Amino acid sequence: MRRAWLAISGTALVVLVTSIVQQLHAQTQQPGFVQREEAPEEFPSGAGRDETFYACTACHGFQLVAQQGMNRRQWDESVALMSQKHNMPPLDDKDRETILNYLETSFPPRAAPRGGWKNPFTNR
Amino acid sequence: MLDDLLNRRFFLGSAAAVGAGMVGALPAVSTGKAFAQAAAPAAPKGPQYLKYPGKNDQLVLLGDRPLVAETPENLLDDDTTPTEKLFVRNNGQIPEEVKDPDQWKFVIDGEVKNKVEMTLGELKSKFKPVTRRIVLECGGNGRSFFSPETRGNQWTNGGVGCPEWTGVRLADVLKIAGVKPSAVFTGHYGSDPHLSGDAGKQAISRGVPIKKLMDENNLLVWALNGQPLPNIHGGPLRLIIPGWPGSVSAKWLTRIWVRDRYHDGQGMGQFSYRVAVKPMVPGDKADEKNFRDLESMPVRSIITSPANGAKIAAGTKDIKLRGAAWAGDLTVKLVEVSTDFGATWTKAKLQAPKNKYDWQRWTSVVKLPSDGYYEIWTRGIDSRGVAQPHIAGSWNPQGYGGNQMHRVAVLVG
Ligand code: HEC
Repeated sequence: MRRAWLAISGTALVVLVTSIVQQLHAQTQQPGFVQREEAPEEFPSGAGRDETFYACTACHGFQLVAQQGMNRRQWDESVALMSQKHNMPPLDDKDRETILNYLETSFPPRAAPRGGWKNPFTNR
Repeated sequence: MLDDLLNRRFFLGSAAAVGAGMVGALPAVSTGKAFAQAAAPAAPKGPQYLKYPGKNDQLVLLGDRPLVAETPENLLDDDTTPTEKLFVRNNGQIPEEVKDPDQWKFVIDGEVKNKVEMTLGELKSKFKPVTRRIVLECGGNGRSFFSPETRGNQWTNGGVGCPEWTGVRLADVLKIAGVKPSAVFTGHYGSDPHLSGDAGKQAISRGVPIKKLMDENNLLVWALNGQPLPNIHGGPLRLIIPGWPGSVSAKWLTRIWVRDRYHDGQGMGQFSYRVAVKPMVPGDKADEKNFRDLESMPVRSIITSPANGAKIAAGTKDIKLRGAAWAGDLTVKLVEVSTDFGATWTKAKLQAPKNKYDWQRWTSVVKLPSDGYYEIWTRGIDSRGVAQPHIAGSWNPQGYGGNQMHRVAVLVG
């Protein structure tokens, strides 16, 4: 385990450590507000779920990811954006493949517009 | 890298140790096992609600981290939005509440003759305060109406509110600064840390062209509905630049950088807060060169009573409606309502705004021929004659300008 950690690239480790400290910080710094801790098991199961969950929750909740529905190209662009704009350590080809496979399968564009308006009287 | 990320689960178990001052050292993992074996919490079902001190518990939580919550339309039924019902949008982490608000410092620098460095206390004592009821609206309001889906927080119509803001006119402070002819654009800065915690990055830093900067309605705000501006809403000091995406109204304001060129801060350029110039095929790969900043927000009318899903007593023929409408930099000329899915429309009674950039409250009574299922629709028409469309058109990858008509369903009997 310790060896695995030592193998992490400098940036990845910094991101992880800072994010965890921040998470703690966020929980203690706003009096009266408790941030819910998410777990990968809450999200659609499938190959690459845990990897994707941990790669994508260093900065924000997975809910921000899971509320989207996009095709592979759009997911690819979104993941690239995380590196371009927000300093996410770039993923190598193998990791990108794993993550995109999971995102594409689990959060595709939803068939019907699932917009904010839902008929409150159907499926009662 | 991913194998290492998987270890984070174990790592999290030792987070307490990290918090206790072990930053920089490699964490011990032995305590992690217990954490990993603990049962995962069940996934929450249905909409989640915000639980935050001082905030209404019916605000719908769009995300925990960053903290984002919207106000359902029926909660916007007050003429002046109470603080507890004002939506919450953060792009980064929420900074710690300051102990002594009057010591808060901010700067106006760059293309100005005299750099302004002032505390909030000085600002309050040197300038005449004004109070205005002004709409604050998230640039992505209505994003969830787009098809195909667009990237970002899936707002319905609830990324908006119209409370009373107290502060001083930014124009008064700019007079002292003396904006130089070389000024082109601004960059606004707040103290909220980037989500990653990277001190070298801004959570968000957007700006406006100088023409908009000089608008006499822009305020440096320290009070909300007569009370000190709460931390969650950007207190002790924030900008209010009315009519434009809320993200230009920086929270926790520390700096206005007057620049000799377009701003390149976080949340500027590419597809952020931007719409297509030449209309694009929904869902297609977007070309950055075809995009321009979203400036004024589009016209929007909402029904604030009855609520979507209201059950109304059998035999009721007259339904009283209440709502609100606003149109970015413009005013609303007309609000209409329909009970037949837009086939026919009637004019609502529309109030004038209290002051520029206030929303306009409206009322109407619609007559129903019988009991049954009805949908009530509304659309606003702005002072230039532009109405809300039936669907969110003008597709763009991050879903700006989605202002399709609002509808509520009611069941009579
Ligand atoms: C280094 C930090 C970081 C990491 C790691 C990261 N993100 Fe993000 N992500 C951000 C920030 C910052 C935002 C903007 C949040 C805001 O403004 O509300 C964001 C926003 C998003 C959005 C919403 C788009 C928007 O502009 O609001 C999506 C979708 C997203 N991220 C997906 C991902 C996915 C998928 C991963 C994992 C592959 C990931 N992110 C990992 C920092 C990160």
